[in-house]
Amino acid sequence: MSSLRRFLTRLLNSATRRAQDERLREEIEGHIALQTEENLRAGLSPVEARRQAMLKFGGVEGVKQDYRAERGLPLIEDLFQDLPYALRMLRKSPGFTAVAVLTLALGVGANTAIFSFIDAVLLRSIPVKDPQQLFVFNWSVRANPKLQGHSDYGDCADQTDIGGCSFSIPFYKTVRAQAGAFSGMAAFAGPFGVDLSGNGAASIVRGLYVSGDFFPTLCVGTFIGRPLTPSDDSPSAPPAIVLNYDYWVRAFGAAPSVVGRTVRLDSTTVTIVGVADPHFTNLTPGKPLDFFMPFSVADSVRGKWYRSKDRVADATYWWVVILGRLKPGLSISQAQAEATTIFRNEMLYGAAPLSKPEDAPAITLRPARSGLNGETSQIAPGLYVTMVIVAFILLIACANVAGLTLARSASRQKEMAVRLALGAGRARIVRQLLTESILLACAGGALGVLVAIWGVDAIATLLSNGSGQPFPFAVAPDWRVLLFTLAITFLTGILFGLAPSLRGSRVDLTPSLKESASLLPGAAAHCGRRFRLGDALVVAQVALSMVVLVGAGLLVRTLRNLHSINPGFDAQNILLFGIVPHLAGYTDQQTQQLYANLQQRFAALPGVISVSYSEEALLSGGWSAGDVHVDSSPPKQNANTGELPVGLDFFATMHIPILAGRSFTSADFAIAAATNAAEKARDAAAAKTNPGSPSTPASASLTALDEAYYHSAPVPLIINESFARKYLANKNPIGLHMGDVERDEVRSPGPGYTIVGVVGDTKYAQLRRKTAPIIFLPLVSNSAHFELRIAANPTALVKNVREIVSQADNNLPLTDIRTQTEQIDQILFHERLMSRLSSFFAALALVLACIGLYGLLSYEVGRRTRELSIRVALGAHRRDLSRLVIGQGILLALIGAAIGIAAAVGVTRFMSAMLYDVRANDPLTTVAVAALLILVAFAACYIPARRAMKVDPMVALRYE
Amino acid sequence: MKQKADVLQGTLALMVLKTLDVLGPQHGYGIARRIEQISRDVLAVNQGTLYPVLLKLEQEGAIASEWGASQNNRRARFYRLTREGRKQLQVETQDWEQTAAIIGRFFEVKAEDLS
Repeated sequence: MSSLRRFLTRLLNSATRRAQDERLREEIEGHIALQTEENLRAGLSPVEARRQAMLKFGGVEGVKQDYRAERGLPLIEDLFQDLPYALRMLRKSPGFTAVAVLTLALGVGANTAIFSFIDAVLLRSIPVKDPQQLFVFNWSVRANPKLQGHSDYGDCADQTDIGGCSFSIPFYKTVRAQAGAFSGMAAFAGPFGVDLSGNGAASIVRGLYVSGDFFPTLCVGTFIGRPLTPSDDSPSAPPAIVLNYDYWVRAFGAAPSVVGRTVRLDSTTVTIVGVADPHFTNLTPGKPLDFFMPFSVADSVRGKWYRSKDRVADATYWWVVILGRLKPGLSISQAQAEATTIFRNEMLYGAAPLSKPEDAPAITLRPARSGLNGETSQIAPGLYVTMVIVAFILLIACANVAGLTLARSASRQKEMAVRLALGAGRARIVRQLLTESILLACAGGALGVLVAIWGVDAIATLLSNGSGQPFPFAVAPDWRVLLFTLAITFLTGILFGLAPSLRGSRVDLTPSLKESASLLPGAAAHCGRRFRLGDALVVAQVALSMVVLVGAGLLVRTLRNLHSINPGFDAQNILLFGIVPHLAGYTDQQTQQLYANLQQRFAALPGVISVSYSEEALLSGGWSAGDVHVDSSPPKQNANTGELPVGLDFFATMHIPILAGRSFTSADFAIAAATNAAEKARDAAAAKTNPGSPSTPASASLTALDEAYYHSAPVPLIINESFARKYLANKNPIGLHMGDVERDEVRSPGPGYTIVGVVGDTKYAQLRRKTAPIIFLPLVSNSAHFELRIAANPTALVKNVREIVSQADNNLPLTDIRTQTEQIDQILFHERLMSRLSSFFAALALVLACIGLYGLLSYEVGRRTRELSIRVALGAHRRDLSRLVIGQGILLALIGAAIGIAAAVGVTRFMSAMLYDVRANDPLTTVAVAALLILVAFAACYIPARRAMKVDPMVALRYE
Repeated sequence: MKQKADVLQGTLALMVLKTLDVLGPQHGYGIARRIEQISRDVLAVNQGTLYPVLLKLEQEGAIASEWGASQNNRRARFYRLTREGRKQLQVETQDWEQTAAIIGRFFEVKAEDLS
């Protein structure tokens, strides 16, 4: 307790210094006066009396210093003394200060910028109340349940076993009614693109389906108006939507009058009842949306849906994500067990049993933050790699500034010597030098924040330009980022300041105080080459930049490899755009006619070589897949394949070679259209008789439709080479019949497909994935992406294309206009970004290392001027001198490169997932990068070497 | 082994407390003279080292100080023992006596006693 009291008293004393000094002075004066009086009484002369009194008292200054040390807080008082001194010293050498601050600003700024991204993408919590109480439902079963459909919109993490996070709406209603462990449950799906008209030109906007209790469960409020409530989510309620805040500002000009306005979604009129809270963008990170709509409109507002399924009442269609808010006090395992029981019941004994008991259907609950990861799993690896790279840059910057500080401290030897001689403790001097370093670091950090702000802006712009939409995460500085910046600034200061401070305070007093400035300590002490701190710093810089260079080299090679992949078709000079006719109310037949009409009109444009269309553009990331059963193969042995509906002349337009059989003809399209019509008629009737389970026929008319459908002609089909190789080896594929497994087993048997041709392999959705089996069908319904092969610049014809489409129908929205090469660039976006970023940082690292090497060699030449001039006087050639300097530089570079290669081998292992067709320890890249480094080192040595050559012995010997 | 300076600091504080206990309120010069008289070689020179010790004791709360008039009406700072200081003195006196007794026993031990 007494020590605490002492501390507090000391704290107070710091404020009352002058008064205390006065008091001590008086006391000492009084003491000496009393002793003097006594001495006088003892008989000494006045002068002698005073002198004896002062001798007896002891050293007054020493007493005063001890008193002061006892009284105040010496550490803080020293700090207040050191800071102005440090400022003065830094102002004295502006060149050093400027370079150091700039270098540090780059290092700190880069780190802060990347950390801001990591914070926004990975660390920030969901913008709802108590997000740690929210859990996502995940299902897992041993065998695939027989579902009508399972849709995943990229909300959940990839599963390894059979599982997912999509459920059916009936199940959601069941579990909401029965589960007692949750105080609230919500479901959502999407976002989907829907056609919005009634607010200016028609456009495609992204809407999220939500359940009625979505807003109450998440405790998300509205900025104006009201949120969606459970009463909005019933079939009889008038359709209502809530806008996203950013969309409201963008599209409606933040007008408060929007509440109560009606707009049309697809062909349904809906009322806008509110605008969501500005902080709430979406639950799933990285998926931007424009508005929220209740599930009750899912039938009429279909978005790009192409099958006439009843998604709301069908228990075998799984497409919504379920969230639950755990009641406080309950454990996850309790809730999980309850949910699993309900799930099991539904799957085994429900209205439509989908699993057997041995399949062990179960539910796992994942925390919402980690369970809904959306886009982050794509971005995260790149972010981590970039974080490591900028951390290395910071280390290089620190080593650089440490070298500069070391060189500067060498010129301050005399100052240090004088201070030590006057009695300063070594710790005191080290503290003062560290204060200078931390001051530099703070200046660098402050400037670094500016660099970071600019950097974040630049990278976000890069990202949105590349992916075609605004960066979906809000990157803004928050307390975590600022804390991070402060921490690394401080650490940086200590890191680059400590070693030079310790070195700088260790000074041989006598040699330093002598006049000869060139006799710096250490030079005469050792004649051989000893590895000194300065050399170690340069080696460290070279090694670190070597690692960064190798990483960048690997990423650049990955991009080049990806670019050089042959996609299986000719991607040059193709214009792409999408049309969604059924959003404007087209039937299948009308759609067919529209496409044929448009195809003709486009083909008539000057410069157009050929026109076609397909459900998805190749290499656009979207894809469908299915199972087919080849007739001749054993039962239950299905072929899993990609599916792509295409239009007439598709293969000719895309320059995909036909290897066997023929391409599609108009007759094929007629057959396909007829079969499709029969299928749709049958499904519509089944949905009417038995909603919720269209696979159970119940009436005679339905049976008739079934028959009609079953007996319609098989749809003509074209397979690709991989399919033939994988599933039809040793057979002539032309003329073979296949059945659609999902159609036949889950719904009602259909006529299947007949193979009429085989085409060459192409990539489908992704460049990186191996070429897979694909079947091509005639496109007879649904939306399409048009491909126009154009003789010259594709973008020149965009205006004409728009004109033709609006002439055909003014209500048809045109989407995603781009060229095929732009499309490929888009899907290679992450690789391009990583390649560009890493190259930029690698160049930066190389420049920093180069500057470090140059600085060290210049300093060495300056330091050894006397020695070099003596050599010249003794007969050395100038060239020998430059060889000396260059030799030293190259030696350091080689050692650094060797260490760097070893480090790179260990580090690049972690990024092998991002690479394509190049190993993490690829020797070619390593050697090329090492050669580049040595070359740059040569360049750095050049000027110091020339300076060494120009040494004039007479001048050096004369100057003492 | 502790340095001589530390021993001096610690015992000096004790001497100050005892002096104030016996003599009552004193100024710095008076305390120094008294200690010099009793301990003979300590504080014969370097009497100035007393003042940091007085400050430390005052900050700990063992003594209190105020301005007063010494003989010849000279202004001087007088120190007196506080209640806490009295307690501290008691405690330290006990500690010292204990330590002295133990060490004393050690010095009296002869080889035969330890068989």
